[in-house]
Amino acid sequence: MQPSSVLVLKAVFSHYWRHGWQTLFLLVGLIAGVGLWSAVQIINQQARLSYEQADSLLGVQASYWIHSRTGKAIEVDDYIHLRRAGFRQIFPVVEAEVSTQQGQPISIIATDLFALPNNLLDSGEGDTASDWLSFVQPPYRAWVPRQLAEELELQPEDQLLLRDGRRFPPALIKSHSQQGRQVLMDIAAAFALLNRETFSYLVVGNIEADQLSQLESLLPDRLELIENQQHLDLQELTQSLHTHLSAMSLLSFAVGLFIVFNAVRFSLWYRRPTFMNLRLMGASSSLLLSAVLIETLLWSFVGAGAGIVVGLQIGKVLLPGLGASLHSLYDATVDTQLIWQFDTLLKAWGITLLGLLWALTWPLYQQLKRNSLPANLISRASLDERQSRHYLALSSLALIGVSIFLYPRIDDAISGFLLLGLLLFGAAWLLPTLLAFTLRLVSHLTADRQLIARWLIGDGWAQLPALRTAMMALLLAMTANLGVGTLVDSFRSAFVGWLEVRQSADIYLRSSKIDYDRLLDPQDSSTWLADSHRRIGVTSRWQGRQTLIRGVDTGAPDSLKLPLAQWSGITPEATLKQWQSEENTLLANEQVHYLAGLQLGETIQLQTDKGLIDYRVIGFFYDYGNPNFQFYLPYDEVVNYWTQYHSRGIALWLKKNDEATQLLAEKAMREAGAETGDWILQSQVRKLSLNIFERTFTITAAMNALTMIVAAIALLASLLAILQERLPQFAQWRALGVRSREQMMIIACPILIFVLVAWLLAIPLGAVLSWILIHKLNIVSFGWSMPMRWDMLPAIQLGGVILLVVAATLMLASWQLRRRMPNALAQLGELA
Amino acid sequence: MLSIQNLNKSFKQAEGDVVVFSGLNFEMATGTSVALLGESGSGKSTLLHLIAGLDQVDSGEIKIDQSSITSMSEAALAEMRRHQVSLVFQQFHLISTLDIIDNIRFQAALCQRFDSDYEALLIDRLGLGKQLKKFPHQLSRGQQQRVAIARSLLHKPALVLADEPTGNLDEQSSLEVMALFSALVKNAGSSLLMVTHSREMASYLDRSVLLHSGKLGEIGAA
Ligand SMILES: Nc1ncnc2c1ncn2[C@@H]1O[C@H](COP(=O)(O)OP(=O)(O)O)[C@@H](O)[C@H]1O
Ligand SMILES: [Mg+2]
Repeated sequence: MQPSSVLVLKAVFSHYWRHGWQTLFLLVGLIAGVGLWSAVQIINQQARLSYEQADSLLGVQASYWIHSRTGKAIEVDDYIHLRRAGFRQIFPVVEAEVSTQQGQPISIIATDLFALPNNLLDSGEGDTASDWLSFVQPPYRAWVPRQLAEELELQPEDQLLLRDGRRFPPALIKSHSQQGRQVLMDIAAAFALLNRETFSYLVVGNIEADQLSQLESLLPDRLELIENQQHLDLQELTQSLHTHLSAMSLLSFAVGLFIVFNAVRFSLWYRRPTFMNLRLMGASSSLLLSAVLIETLLWSFVGAGAGIVVGLQIGKVLLPGLGASLHSLYDATVDTQLIWQFDTLLKAWGITLLGLLWALTWPLYQQLKRNSLPANLISRASLDERQSRHYLALSSLALIGVSIFLYPRIDDAISGFLLLGLLLFGAAWLLPTLLAFTLRLVSHLTADRQLIARWLIGDGWAQLPALRTAMMALLLAMTANLGVGTLVDSFRSAFVGWLEVRQSADIYLRSSKIDYDRLLDPQDSSTWLADSHRRIGVTSRWQGRQTLIRGVDTGAPDSLKLPLAQWSGITPEATLKQWQSEENTLLANEQVHYLAGLQLGETIQLQTDKGLIDYRVIGFFYDYGNPNFQFYLPYDEVVNYWTQYHSRGIALWLKKNDEATQLLAEKAMREAGAETGDWILQSQVRKLSLNIFERTFTITAAMNALTMIVAAIALLASLLAILQERLPQFAQWRALGVRSREQMMIIACPILIFVLVAWLLAIPLGAVLSWILIHKLNIVSFGWSMPMRWDMLPAIQLGGVILLVVAATLMLASWQLRRRMPNALAQLGELA
Repeated sequence: MLSIQNLNKSFKQAEGDVVVFSGLNFEMATGTSVALLGESGSGKSTLLHLIAGLDQVDSGEIKIDQSSITSMSEAALAEMRRHQVSLVFQQFHLISTLDIIDNIRFQAALCQRFDSDYEALLIDRLGLGKQLKKFPHQLSRGQQQRVAIARSLLHKPALVLADEPTGNLDEQSSLEVMALFSALVKNAGSSLLMVTHSREMASYLDRSVLLHSGKLGEIGAA
């Protein structure tokens, strides 16, 4: 490089040394945007990778499962029989839920470690052989994933205490891929712990076609072979959730980009004289452009690199919660150990570079094309400003028009988010015009009164260009905050109310070996049992989706209060009565309505063991978070039409929900054949359900808060840039005798007016956002709806928070001003 | 009116202190006008800044109408500038977002001292009648400086400090503006301390003083 080029580079870059604040904001904007985006990217990628190996549970790819047709457990003899017949790829699994002393539910998965291929324990650390031996010999070992061990505060070799006083084998704390949050142990250890001697199901690994037919013929009638379709289903089921996350991260990236754009605009503005001088001294515009391109490249390296590091950290914090909810919602296992992928970095760098090119290089190119500074800067600037405001408003109207056109045509999550994006940006781009309109309105109202008022308004006009971008970022952040907040609140209140009804029983018992007649024997149970509800189910597929046909007791307490979303009768109660008394009627979950398009009153045919039977749909019930279809039929009809039903357990209402009655119930359940881990208390179920719920939304809340911080930084950046630029002007006011308090007021008033307008706009916009999220996106992506709950309180609280943010930034600005004023005063009168 | 005693001021620099004033004394009677002459870099602007309280003295005392400004707080200095002193610089420092009439009235509005007859007189004498609804960037330099002059006089300040007010104008309009300015200051009954390069400009005023090596010397009546 020639020395002259080095000089040009030096002149161009020196700006960032001299304006530390701007450099800082540029960095923060870049890193925050890239960080949030890449965090979600990393999480989604992790999930996708996990799904790809989803069924390689315990290191073996399950191509088939062997289940009992009646839902009963599988006897050890059946397993030994199959192994003896030469099926080395079959191994047994025990799955059970137990709860700790503190009531935290833990899921156990156990298998025959002798039968497994050796690779399970082989993770490259430690002495595998002795590890392996300690697993299969008493006192055995419980393999606890790191994340869970941390939550339970479990140290290596600790023996976790369960609610019923039993203890886990000594813990080995180590994470294995696909283990998720399950505790892994040898089958013998599980048998000892759970006091059972049957398997939950068998897994069939890789199997040839001819072997398969041999296996089918060998299988006793009570067992069935089920093909593993989970892999496909999982991708499909979780797709919407990941789309949700991606959309959120793009929003954060957009807000980050607003800051960058802001910072870069200021940096270009300040360097206009530099560029002018360089050109006058003979630097060609291509040389200047290359200098700025180099600058862009450097920024993109720094932004992408640091952003990814931040993204990894955010991902690390958010992934366990998301993994847990994916597991409970979809049975999907997501590794909580992050896998690093190089192409995430490449992608991050790519979008950063694109963003920067748009923000930095393009405006410069245009500036250079204009060739020189216009003679009359102020009029030129205000003309530019008005023009760009008009362009923005026109584009905004176009975007809003397109989104109105799109609204009735939304049929999947992607088009839904496209609509939201268009609408949000449309609103954001309209904001400058609205702000200008407000200023004009205020000036109209105060016009002839006072010179000070006119001064204040005039200064608002002067601040508008500099604050414009920050206000747009703030509007986006506030809207997202209100919209997503309303979604979560609506969901929480709907979900909690629903849980009250759906899980009103005190104990849920599910086991294959229960003798129900004995359990429910009126004489024995009269001391503790108030009511019960036994359910059976048939699993099948309907319209390509996994479907559960449930036989329920239509007169049980929870059936009588089943929360309906749509009903064909006059009232929900009347509809439930009709369902109880009229034959061939059924209730379906909302998913059937939204995802399969079934309408109230329509008749469907169900494949039963006695042929096709017609059923009329008379109601749809809420079934939050269920990815599958469900039909509710009276118990007797299911028994009548399907021979291969299995027990879906029993719900028990206690006479009194106290410790003593619970112990009576436990005793009765054990006597009826139940084992530890077969039942779960209502309080635990509810806690578990609410936990899943909260975890699912921690990620949303976190993204929301981060986006808000990013917007606050944009505001601060703009304010400080305004101070920097206008310092000489402020000094001149002081020379005219303006008090410092008056000066702060002049600076603060327009900002407060702008923030007020943005906040007022964010309220209806947030409502629209949550309306679309709840009534469109949730339905097209998950197939269920909920009543929207709009509350003014969060909006008011948000207003308070924003006011605090503005106050804090103003205080920082005023401190800066006081620090720099003496110097500016001393330089007053000198030609710039 | 204005009294400066034993003023010392130097600027701390990496290469060593730049001593601007050492033991400077100056007196100025009410209603008089004084031209401050001196080479470039002799400290003329610094002196004006110190008198307006925009910069701080090292030692010595500056009194305006018997009250010492060297011991005033920042807030008190702002009050003093608001009511008693006005400044006119080579750069016009108009408020770009206000129209001409509002710019003229600005300081008068701040200290709520307003005389509409005097305003009409100023506008008429300065020939700004047709410009009142325009904005600063729509005026020529000479016109902008006239607006700054009108602004500095409308509230009839006790002391007007001017730093090369015509330095940015061509010679013809410089002389015009100068003649108007000195006449209007007399008319308002204000005192004027004006920095200038040119003896011709100085000749419009009552006295001339020369700033040289940190001290002031009388040049004698013009
Ligand atoms: N803020 C400052 N910092 C350092 N030196 C200064 C500063 N302001 C003025 N000076 C120095 O003080 C001397 C007087 O400056 P000034 O009052 O502007 O002169 P004049 O107006 O007579 O041309 C000069 O040598 C100048 O370099
Ligand atoms: Mg000077």
